Amino acid sequence: MPFKIYGFPPSTCTRRVALVCKELNVPYELIPVNIPKGEHKAPEYLKRQPFGVVPAIDDDGFTMFESRPVARYLVAKYGKGSTLVPDPKDIIATAKFEQAVSVENNHFDEPAGELFLQLVIKPMRGLPKDEERVKALLATLNSKLDVYEMVLAKQPYLGGDILTLADLFHLPWLYGLTEKAKLDLVTSRPNVARWYQEISSRPAWQAVKDGA
Amino acid sequence: MAILKLYGGKQASCTRRVATVLHELNVPFELVEIDVMNGAHKKPEYLKFQPFGQIPYIDDDGFILYETRAICRYIAAKHPKSGLIPTDPKSNALFEQAASVELTNFDPSASKAGLQLWIKKMGYTYPTDDKVIADHLETLEKKLDAYEAILSKQRYVAGETITLADIFHLPYGVYVTYDGSESDNIMNRASRPNVARWYKELVSRPSWLAYLDGVKTTTAY
Repeated sequence: MPFKIYGFPPSTCTRRVALVCKELNVPYELIPVNIPKGEHKAPEYLKRQPFGVVPAIDDDGFTMFESRPVARYLVAKYGKGSTLVPDPKDIIATAKFEQAVSVENNHFDEPAGELFLQLVIKPMRGLPKDEERVKALLATLNSKLDVYEMVLAKQPYLGGDILTLADLFHLPWLYGLTEKAKLDLVTSRPNVARWYQEISSRPAWQAVKDGA
Repeated sequence: MAILKLYGGKQASCTRRVATVLHELNVPFELVEIDVMNGAHKKPEYLKFQPFGQIPYIDDDGFILYETRAICRYIAAKHPKSGLIPTDPKSNALFEQAASVELTNFDPSASKAGLQLWIKKMGYTYPTDDKVIADHLETLEKKLDAYEAILSKQRYVAGETITLADIFHLPYGVYVTYDGSESDNIMNRASRPNVARWYKELVSRPSWLAYLDGVKTTTAY
C-alpha cells in the first residue's frame, strides 16, 4: 500500500512532506485536495485534518497531519541509517537538533511565510501589496538571517555537523522567496549562501520544488 | 555536577514554561535573572549564549541550550520514564503531531494576545492594542473549536496520557483567559466542555501552581 499524501501539489507543506519522501526513497501517491475549490474546508477533509489545511497522510491506515511531524515519522519508519534525525540515544545531538527545529519554526517560518504571501500570492490574486508590512517583515527576516550567518560560520548545518530535517524544513519558503519573490537574502551572507546552495541542490528538492 | 542554571525572568512567559517542566520532572535548578528591562539580553555577553537575544536559555553543567521547547524536550529526554515524550513509534508520531499543532495553531495567536493581556494584568507601562488582542482571540476561538473536536475523543492532545505537547500550551493558555471571567473565558466556555476539562486539569498541576508568584530557584522537591 503506497504512502498516501492528501495535499495540493504547489503547497508549501505538501512539498515539505514530498521532499522527505524523496530523500528516503519512499514512493507516495498524491491524492489531490482542491484548495481553490475549498475542498480542504469540507467536512470530509476536516475529518482527516480538523484545522482544515493540507497535507494529511495515510500510511497503510495510520493517519496523521502537520508536515514536520510527518517528516519525523517518515525518518523513524523508513529512514534506517538516515541521519536526518539524530539517534535519540544521543541526547546532546538531539537537543541541538530540537533547538534548530524550533528556530526554524519560531524565527523563520512566520516572517518568511507572510513575506511570500505579500510578495507572491497577493499580486497573483490581484490584491495590493502592503508596503509597510513588507518593510517590517523584511527587517525581521533579515535580522534573523544575520543570526543564521553567525551560527553557520561556526558549523556547517543548523543542528551542528550533520544535515538534518531542521535544514530541509527551510526549503519551501527559501526557494519561494529567492526564486519567485526574487529576494536577495544570501549575497551578503556567504555562510547562509553556502548552506542554501547545498540544501537546495539536493536531488530530492529538485524533484519536488515546483510541485509535489 | 553543577546545578542546572536557567537564565531568564522570574515572571517571563517562556521562563515559566521551562520551569514548569523542570518541576514536573523534579529537576533542581537555579534561576539566574537577566535584567531584560535594561536590555541585558541584547548585550554581546548575552548574545554569545542566545544569539537571537531572547530569554531563557539553560546551562546544564556546561551544555548551553535555548528555545524553550527544545530545552523542555532535552530535560524530558534525560527522564525517559516520565512518559512526557512517548517512545512507541505511533504514540511518538501522534505526540509530534500534537506538539506541532501547539506551535502552528495555538501559539501564534495565543502568544500575541496572551502577552498583551499579561502586560495589562501586571500593570506594566508597555503599550498594548485592544484591537490586536481581539483579532488574535478571534483566530484562537476558531482553533479551539478544532481542539474541542480532538479532545472530545481523547483525554490529552496527544492521546490518553499527558505529554510535553499539553504542557507547551502553558503559560499562554493561562494568559489568554485574562480576557474574561473565571467561569467564562476562551479556555472555559460552555460550548467547549472538553477544552475546559483539559485546561482545568493542566492548571491544577503542582508544576504550574508552584510558580504562580514567579519562577524561583528550586533545589528540593
